[in-house]
Amino acid sequence: MRRSRFPFIVTGVVLVFFYLPILILVVDSFNASRFGGAWRGFSLKWYARLFHEPAIWEAARNTLFIALLVTLVSLVLGTTSALALHRFANSRLQRGHYTLVYTPLVVPEILMGISMLMAFVAAGVELGMLTIILAHVTFCVSYVALTVLGRLQDFDFTIIEAARDLGASGWTAARRVLLPMLAPGLAAAALIAFTLSVDDFVITFFVAGPGATTLPIRVYSMIKHGATPLINALSTLLLALTFTTVLVSQRLSASGSLKSRTME
Amino acid sequence: MKKQFASRWPLAAVVIAAGILAGQCGGGRKALPVLHLYTWSDYIKPELVSRFEAANGCRVVIDTFDSNEAMYAKLKAGATGYDVITPTSYMVHLMHGQGMLQPLDPGLLPNRRHVDPDYLAVAIDKEMAYSVPYMLTNTGIAYLKSKVGNFEPSWGMFGRADLKGRMVMLNDMRETIGAALKFLGYSLNSTDAGELAKARDVVLGWKANLAKFENEQYKNGIASGEFLLVHGYGGDILQVQAENDDIAFVMPREGGAISCDDLVIARSAREVRLAHAFINFLHDPAVAAENTGFTQFLCPNRDSYPLLDRSIRENPGIFLVPEIKAKCEVLADLGEKNALYVKVWDEIKNGM
Repeated sequence: MRRSRFPFIVTGVVLVFFYLPILILVVDSFNASRFGGAWRGFSLKWYARLFHEPAIWEAARNTLFIALLVTLVSLVLGTTSALALHRFANSRLQRGHYTLVYTPLVVPEILMGISMLMAFVAAGVELGMLTIILAHVTFCVSYVALTVLGRLQDFDFTIIEAARDLGASGWTAARRVLLPMLAPGLAAAALIAFTLSVDDFVITFFVAGPGATTLPIRVYSMIKHGATPLINALSTLLLALTFTTVLVSQRLSASGSLKSRTME
Repeated sequence: MKKQFASRWPLAAVVIAAGILAGQCGGGRKALPVLHLYTWSDYIKPELVSRFEAANGCRVVIDTFDSNEAMYAKLKAGATGYDVITPTSYMVHLMHGQGMLQPLDPGLLPNRRHVDPDYLAVAIDKEMAYSVPYMLTNTGIAYLKSKVGNFEPSWGMFGRADLKGRMVMLNDMRETIGAALKFLGYSLNSTDAGELAKARDVVLGWKANLAKFENEQYKNGIASGEFLLVHGYGGDILQVQAENDDIAFVMPREGGAISCDDLVIARSAREVRLAHAFINFLHDPAVAAENTGFTQFLCPNRDSYPLLDRSIRENPGIFLVPEIKAKCEVLADLGEKNALYVKVWDEIKNGM
């Protein structure tokens, strides 16, 4: 039977549609011209200039600091929340909990940003790094919880029971059996939280305080008033970072699911 | 191996975060007063900031915004902590009306006397009661000298059928309808329905010749020669001119829009004296000249003009001849009358 070429064509078109703009951006970051319209020769000058822009690095440092803390906090909160959701799936309380966890995924960002700003102002919290971290945790927790929940649903809890039968305390079983088996899922969730935090503009813009400018805020402002090739160079570096992260995360989750499958 | 990495990486993250935190807090900085500046990116020469810091024994922290409206929404919702802000004049007017700005103390701003009186004559806050002009730019026409024959410095150029499809106007209702109002000899802040209707018909006539209405890509377009004639901001065009010297920038003889970003002090500012000192510093003629050279926008400081590079001083798109300058206006905040423009702009966008 002859295979239809149609799926290949669709895949090709979709890939081009997704990756061509990114490719153009990467190519333009090596363009000597300040305006991407015409190619004026290969140059690394935008990368060189990038290293002489303290404001960008300050913003990058803020972003990294926030993302790491957010990842840690939301990983702990999200995982415990997923455990509760899984364990007591049928209780009314947990159904309410599930709705709460789910809500930040569907609420428009601008709404979340401005309402959080108003909440912080009403509570008298000074805007700054702390408010950004709190805001990011609010939505990252949901992604972590749902990712971990997904892994828990495949999880065979008889293993834990076996560990308990063999004399492990609840804590030991959780630490020595549950956590290691969940680790790839946790790593994937952490990477999602990290990327979301690094990426976010809308919510961050509203809750950021003086001295807490993050990379996305800086980049948006640069589009209006700065040199766009610098943004291209910066984006290329970020892309490299993101792709590496995604690759690592895929590796981790792939090896995880492989392992659990062989165990069955 | 992989599993080991996976179980240890949270620990690594803690260590890194702690390291960054330590760097953040333990920078060895004394408790200097901090001035918070909220502005567009790359809108002040970094060396000038360092100079101000050294002279006043303070730190300046710069945060950036990307649109007047977003900045306004944020402050309106109650965000505080910013001392000096640089919104565009129409937004300054709106914020002043809402009591979001502090009155300025003239005694703390001796350099006010250097501010260009010609600009103040057309400014919204002529007395500098709550704002001092920072950077201004003209909206005019840029074109490729070698490709556009019989160029005339008039908004009527957009009616030229031989340039059809190779021209772009700004996707900004006030700028584009304003250009048509000027072409017809009216004020670009007109709120007369009859005048606006005529302006709409003019823009509709131009639209037939335009490739599109667009705000950012026109710079690339004219740099590469894809577009031959564009409606654009002087500051932007100056940057493109640095790469392609075939580009000329002119203000049409009918006059056009001047837009200005102003220095203002937020109502909630904590370092009010320092904020005044900063505004005063930026209007020191030598500082203003240096800043103009960096930003490529013009700081309206009269005594800084002789200190500017010849290329800037002799650019007719920046320093307008007096007859044309007299016909230019600042886009004012129209309040409720803005709806008139929205309606006309919709008709233009939807019309053939």
